[in-house]
Amino acid sequence: MSDRLRTVGADVPRVETVEKLTGDALYTGDLLLPGMLHAKVKHSPHARARILRIDTARAEALPGVRAVLTGHELDYRIGLYVVDKDILAKDVVRHFGEAVAAVAADTPEIAGEAVGLIEVEYDVLTPVLDPMAAIRDDAPLVHPDLGSYAYVEAAFSPQPGTNIAHRQLVRKGDLDRGFAEAEWIVEREYTNPSVQHVPLETHVVVVQWKAGDQVTIWTSAQSPFTVRNLFCTALRLPLNQVRVVVPHVGGGFGGKAGIHLEPLVACLSRKAGGRPVRLQATREEEFSLLPCRSALTYRIRTGVRSDGTITAQQMTMYWDAGAYADYAVNVTRASAYSSGGPYDIPNAAVDAYAIYTNKPYGTAYRGFGHVEFFWGLERHMELVAQAIGMDSLEFRRRNLLRPGSLTLTGERITEHTGDPRACLDAVAEAIDYGRLTAAEAEHERTTGRKVGKGVATLHKAPAMPSFTATAAVVKMNSDASVVVNIALMEIGQGCDTALAQIVAERLRFPVERVKVAVERDTDKDPYDWQTVASKGLILSGNACLLACDDLLRQAYEVAGQALRANVVDLDHDADRVFVAHRPEESVTFAELSIGYAFPNGNGIGGPLVGVGRYIAQGLTNLDKETGQGLPALDWTYGAHGVVVDVDPETGEFDVLAISSAYDVGRVVNPGLVRGQAIGGMVQGLGTALCEGYIYDQQGRLLNPSFTDNKIPTARDIPARIDSAVVETAQLDGPFGARGVGEHPMISVAPAIGNAIQHATGAELLHMPMRFEDVWRALRSHDPIDNWITETPVGSCRSDLPGGDATVHPADAVAHPGSTHTPEVALP
Amino acid sequence: MAARFGYRAPRRREELLALLGEYGERARVLAGGTDLLGDVRSGLAHPEVMVDLKRVEGYRELGWSADDGLLIRPGVTINDLLGDDRVRASYPLLAACAQDLASHQIRNRATVIGNVVNASPCADLSPALLCLGAHAVLSSQEGRREVPFTEFFTGAKRTVLRTGELLEEVVVPPAGADARGSYHKLKRIKGHDLGIVGVAALAEDGALRLGISSCAPTPLLVDGLSTHDPVDEVVAAARAAISPISDVRCTKEYRTHMVGVYVRRALEEVA
Repeated sequence: MSDRLRTVGADVPRVETVEKLTGDALYTGDLLLPGMLHAKVKHSPHARARILRIDTARAEALPGVRAVLTGHELDYRIGLYVVDKDILAKDVVRHFGEAVAAVAADTPEIAGEAVGLIEVEYDVLTPVLDPMAAIRDDAPLVHPDLGSYAYVEAAFSPQPGTNIAHRQLVRKGDLDRGFAEAEWIVEREYTNPSVQHVPLETHVVVVQWKAGDQVTIWTSAQSPFTVRNLFCTALRLPLNQVRVVVPHVGGGFGGKAGIHLEPLVACLSRKAGGRPVRLQATREEEFSLLPCRSALTYRIRTGVRSDGTITAQQMTMYWDAGAYADYAVNVTRASAYSSGGPYDIPNAAVDAYAIYTNKPYGTAYRGFGHVEFFWGLERHMELVAQAIGMDSLEFRRRNLLRPGSLTLTGERITEHTGDPRACLDAVAEAIDYGRLTAAEAEHERTTGRKVGKGVATLHKAPAMPSFTATAAVVKMNSDASVVVNIALMEIGQGCDTALAQIVAERLRFPVERVKVAVERDTDKDPYDWQTVASKGLILSGNACLLACDDLLRQAYEVAGQALRANVVDLDHDADRVFVAHRPEESVTFAELSIGYAFPNGNGIGGPLVGVGRYIAQGLTNLDKETGQGLPALDWTYGAHGVVVDVDPETGEFDVLAISSAYDVGRVVNPGLVRGQAIGGMVQGLGTALCEGYIYDQQGRLLNPSFTDNKIPTARDIPARIDSAVVETAQLDGPFGARGVGEHPMISVAPAIGNAIQHATGAELLHMPMRFEDVWRALRSHDPIDNWITETPVGSCRSDLPGGDATVHPADAVAHPGSTHTPEVALP
Repeated sequence: MAARFGYRAPRRREELLALLGEYGERARVLAGGTDLLGDVRSGLAHPEVMVDLKRVEGYRELGWSADDGLLIRPGVTINDLLGDDRVRASYPLLAACAQDLASHQIRNRATVIGNVVNASPCADLSPALLCLGAHAVLSSQEGRREVPFTEFFTGAKRTVLRTGELLEEVVVPPAGADARGSYHKLKRIKGHDLGIVGVAALAEDGALRLGISSCAPTPLLVDGLSTHDPVDEVVAAARAAISPISDVRCTKEYRTHMVGVYVRRALEEVA
């Protein structure tokens, strides 16, 4: 099949490249509407407090202010899976940075000034910050009314009277018997803090609530239909009165899935008499008004025989949902059924909890939990191998899934599922695993640094409803070019290019004749669930194929009449439909495109519009007690291999090389795969090295900006960064392809941790691995626990000059956190 | 949140000093703005008037003299300094510190004097200026005075500058031909970052000086050392001088350790 493919597999340049490079591409933030107002948000400076009083009188009196909103005016609640969030805080605030009021005004400056004039009186309460403390019986409840909230009952199990937003159980085999068969039992706990997505484009929304409750929302969202559905559910509006339009999006990474600022801005527009209102989050707001990635504590207990065979594994996940359930409950669910990794574990138990705390809430983030738990899992595999005295690569190979294996939920792996072994072997070979090259040995001699190599595996399936669906429409123009309408968003991943290639391949057209319409519009485009989960290529790819088939069927039908031929005898090339055994008998696509006209003027057919509908098939809900069922549309396997050098004196390290391999089924576009791979690995590097939310004891975020939340820069990209592919065709994937959007970010961190351990012996259990963490691990010092820090703010020694110069009386209105940054944090 | 402030951009230094005298504490001097504008945006600074010095005649020039050495005026950006061949040849330590300051874009904008006068404990240029024996020339309508950098910083973000006074010149004495310097800066990433620990060292005629940042409320100088001193004594002297804190960037233990490591490495390079 492969040698017959012309467009699929070709290194087609991204279709939107020129538009983006020239600055012509328009984003939501570029939108200017007549009479448009600008919104600003008043944030809570406290993590947990009762709101005693909000006085908006001075703000309302400010000239240029058109609307001021507080929570009590809004009788709506929002939630993806657990409906637990007010549009503006009512009576209580549940996290630092939470919205308590908002203003729409003629200019952003006036709106900001008005926000400063809003007075809020709080009764500050002790926050629940540590998820492990939040599940104790005596913990205060973040949501005392949890039992009254609506939730998606087929998939989730909130525990009223506790802080547990969801509990996911998975049971496979007989755990006690498995541990009884084990010769070794290794138990460890792995942790990581919350992190921020930091898309280049911060969240931005423009909403106009027009007369007759006709609402138009322009938003930087990953999923226009999900915005519309959740909005209409919360605001109790019919779907056909709400239109969601999404132009180009400047990066999502999960942070723009679901619904965010849209309801607030809509309510401001309504209160402002229907004038359009624009709100763009500041970078600081991205850190605490908008959600983050959940922190995780992952405890793993593994039974293993001396020959390296895993006999049992008990896994307990404590996910820090933060103040609202949002996606964290589904991260918990998806991580639970994936939590064993691509390994054959005959006897397993998973208990995963999503726990409410008084912190900014967790949402989807590239990898959907897998980056976090693979940190623990693949560090754990290293430590188990070390405990039994086995090389960790060999240990992994011995336990990998293979055809016939059963996953944790009872899915049988086949030869078509994918090949984790090939991925692992590819990266091990790429980094010369297990030995130092002559150059590396020389590097050790000349620098005094220690070189180490590590590998880690990964897998992920799309986390989505069992009946996730999408559709595509392919419309032919009168010159036989086509326009494709979909609602899957191009957010940088390259779906427009890949789908254009798939359409071009199926129609046998050159890719230049295929255009995927840029701006997605719920009034005009066919439904798509969401742009998440690495599911776009399979679902939308299949929908596009079906739409092409539908269009060709229409074309053949008309061509059959035009040529007086039986449809079964027809064939086509890029330009014409012809009779297979008499190719000179033909009609062009251009002639068929908007209806065929006979020489005498009679018309037949009509515009060619292909519609393709696709829905995930055969998937099931998971049993609530055992987790058994079929949740996975497909599994993408992969592996990372890393070479580091470590300064044993300081703990500083340098990632010299990252190699990767993913079983993508079929490469649709090698440039796009490489782009996803490198981007994901660099994002994984940030998570591995330096990113993480740091709170003080009051739950205030201490690093809500790039001053102290560093992310990798161009200089941090390793000198060598490779991506390889394995192609085990996905039977139901378009041309055999499966998704690889999230996977490159997964398991970069544990591969680095394993390499550091190989180099120095440092046993790291916490991610990120800052230089000081490595230094401490090398000296068996207690790890730093500064993610909820006990260090007093601005603790310069008070007996020294300037020791009292550390508290800045400042206005935290516009930028929560700025007043609480320690003195030395100021550049 | 938006801030309202007046803006003045005098062309002559007398005008500038008069404005500073007139507005006193209500004025802030604007040079590159890379610290000040951030502070205004965060609500940490509330100037009534910003007095922009970038248009003052001669302020963007470097001065040279055989006796005084290098004279840096208030408009000189970090990249101006780095782009000057004489600076790179005569003051490699200063250039090394400047090269590690933020990113190229910030260095286009940020000034040398702004970096110093901001009096951040983690300022990149201060360790070098301390090692090089530089002094500050402070000007006001009342006149001018000279203050060595060892006496310039009085605390975190605090200096001896009086109301109405401008740090108008940084004077770096001529460096000896045999002077050798080194700068070590601990960062969290390879890209631009503030110094978590910074150690500059300068050896000249057997004398050894250490300039240390991010380890006390002010950048500090450890003086009176010799390149012949035992390494452990030099490390001990450095550790005795610092008073590091634990913060979101690292713990005081690690800062203390890294000062020792960097001092040892610096000695290997300069002694």
